[in-house]
Amino acid sequence: MTEHDFAKVNRWLLPDGVDEILPPQAFALERLRRELLDCYYRWGYDLVMPPTIEYLEALLTGAAHDLDLQTFKLTDQLTGRMMGVRADITPQAARIDAHQLRRDCPVRLCYLGAVLQTRPEGPGSSRNPLQIGAELYGHAGFESEAEIIALMLETLRIAGVVQPHLDLGHVGIFRGLTSQAGLGPDAEMRLWDALQRKAGTEIEAILAEFDVAESLYSMLAALPELSGGLEVLERANAELMPAQDCVHQALRELRSIANALQHWLPDVPLHFDLGELRGYQYHTGVVFAAFVAGHSHEVARGGRYNHIGRVFGRSRPATGFSADLKTLFALSDRGQQPPVLGIAAPCDDDAALLAEVSKLRQAGERVVWLLPGHEAELHELGCNRRLVNLGGCWQVKPA
Amino acid sequence: MSDDDTLVIALSKGRILRETLPLLGHAGIEPVEPPQVSRRLLLATGVAQVRLVIVRAADAPTYVEYGGADVGVTGKDVLMEYGGQGLYEPLDLGIARCRLVIAGRPGANVTARRVRVATKYVNITRRYFAEQGRQVELIKLYGSMELAPLVGLADLIVDLVDTGRTLQANGLAPLEHIADISSRLVVNRAAMKTKHRLIKPFLARMQAAVAAMHRSAANSGTTGKS
Repeated sequence: MTEHDFAKVNRWLLPDGVDEILPPQAFALERLRRELLDCYYRWGYDLVMPPTIEYLEALLTGAAHDLDLQTFKLTDQLTGRMMGVRADITPQAARIDAHQLRRDCPVRLCYLGAVLQTRPEGPGSSRNPLQIGAELYGHAGFESEAEIIALMLETLRIAGVVQPHLDLGHVGIFRGLTSQAGLGPDAEMRLWDALQRKAGTEIEAILAEFDVAESLYSMLAALPELSGGLEVLERANAELMPAQDCVHQALRELRSIANALQHWLPDVPLHFDLGELRGYQYHTGVVFAAFVAGHSHEVARGGRYNHIGRVFGRSRPATGFSADLKTLFALSDRGQQPPVLGIAAPCDDDAALLAEVSKLRQAGERVVWLLPGHEAELHELGCNRRLVNLGGCWQVKPA
Repeated sequence: MSDDDTLVIALSKGRILRETLPLLGHAGIEPVEPPQVSRRLLLATGVAQVRLVIVRAADAPTYVEYGGADVGVTGKDVLMEYGGQGLYEPLDLGIARCRLVIAGRPGANVTARRVRVATKYVNITRRYFAEQGRQVELIKLYGSMELAPLVGLADLIVDLVDTGRTLQANGLAPLEHIADISSRLVVNRAAMKTKHRLIKPFLARMQAAVAAMHRSAANSGTTGKS
C-alpha cells in the first residue's frame, strides 16, 4: 500500500490523542456535566463561558512556559495578530475576574469547555479534554483553599470516582529555601528539575556544585524525602527548623488546611509531598491534586496563583482547581449501557396519537416515531414499549 | 497501576536483571522461579504482594509511566533519551555501570563542520552537540554502531561503552565522554502517593541493599566498575 492509498482508506481516522464521545456515553457525560454545574451553582459559583480562541498575549500572560508549548496557534486573518486555541481555561477566568467583573468581594467562578493541547499531558491523556473547574478570587486565607479542595472532592464524588487520595504541597517551601541559599535562576531550575524527579543523588550533586551552606544543603536535600502522611508536617517542622520565616509560614498554612480538611472530609486520605512543585512558575502557595489507585496521572489538580490578574489591571489572590470531565467519566461507572426505555409510535395521522405522543414527551418519556419500512426495528431504536390503538384509544403496551 | 495492596516491579532481561536480583534478594524479595530461564513474563515472588514483570530495557519507563508497573529498574541512558517525564527516580542502584561516549577512529576530527553521527540515542546526541554549538547530521541505528565508521556510513558514533573491547576490536576509540550511566529505580508518581505505605519501606530496604553492596565491594577491593 502506498501513502496515498492509506490516505484514502483512513479518511475517518482521528489525529493521535484526539477522541470523540459517542452514544450512549455522550448523554451520560452530558448528565454528569449538568449535575456538576448544578452543584457549583449551589455552592455559589457563577458560570462563565469564555471563547475557545483568543489573542495569544491574553492566553499566555502570566502563565507558565509550558502553556505556550501546549497551545495551538494561528494567525488572525482580520488583524494579522497571533491567536491561540485555549489549552487551559484558568487564565481566561482570571482575565474575566480582573478585567470584566472588577468586584472587590470574593468572586467564585466555574467553567466547563473544550480545550486543545498540542501534546497530551500524561500517558494516554486526551489532547482535547473537556476541562471543568472552579476558581475563587479575592481571598488569601486557608479557608478558600479548604473550600476549593472540598469542591474538587465533591466533584469527584458526584462523578463516582471512588477513594481519591489527596496530595498537598506548597511551592513556598522550595522557593524560600532557594532564596535563602542565594541560588540564581539557573541553579533553581536545575534543582527544580531534579526535585520533580526526586533524584536524590542529582540534587546533592547540584547543591555541592553551588557550594550551598551546610544547613541549607541538608534542608534542600531533605525535600524529596519529605512525603507521606500527616506525620510529614511534624518531620518538616524539625528538619526545616533553620529555614527563614516564609518557609515556616508555608508549613503553618499546610497545617491549617490539613486541620480544616480533616474536619470537612474525614474519609479522604491526605498525602503531603513538600517536594511537589507542579506548575512552579505560576503557583504561589499551596498546590494540590487528587489521585486514584489504578490511574497513573492525577485526576484533578489545582493550587494558589495570586497576582495572575495583575497584567489585566488588578492583582487578586486566587485559588482553583480543574479536571478533565472525560477522565472523571471514564473512571466512574456512568458509561455503562443504559436501560432500553423508549416508546415506539407508528406513523399515523390520527390527532389523538399526536396528542398522546406530546403528552408522553412532556411527562419525560422518550418517544420515537417508527418510520415506514422500519416497524420491526424496535429494539435497535432503543424502545421496549409501543403505542397501540385499542378501539380508538392510544395506549402504551410492552413491545 | 496495580491494586492498592500489590507492588509490581518492572525489570529488563540481561545485565540489569542479573545485577538487580541480588539487591532485591537483600531487600527480601526472591522470585519463585529463576527469571533468566523462565519463559513467564509475570513472576510471583516469595512476598505475596510483590510481583515482577520482565520487559525490554527501553520499555521499563513506559510500563512505569502508564502504571503497568509501580516501580521499575532502567538505565539512566534510557531516561535521558526518552525524557522519563512523570517518573520519580529516587535511587541510583549503582549497577550496570558504563559510560555514554562519542567514539570514532583515533584522531577523527570531532569538530569538523556537520559531522555524521550514528547512534540509537538520537535525542541525547542532538542535545549534546547542540549544547556545544555544533550542528550534526544524525543517523538512527538500532545496533552494531561500531560498523558505521568502518564502512563510511558515519564519522562518529554515540554509544554505551563498558570495557571498550568492542570499540578496540573495530579500530575505534572513545573520543568524548557524555555521561556516566548506571541503573535507576524509577517510581510511578501516582503510586508513590497512593501506595506510599508500601513503596517507602521498599525504597528504604533497596537503599540499604545498595549501601551494603557498596560496602562489600569496598571491602573486597573492587569498586564495582569494570
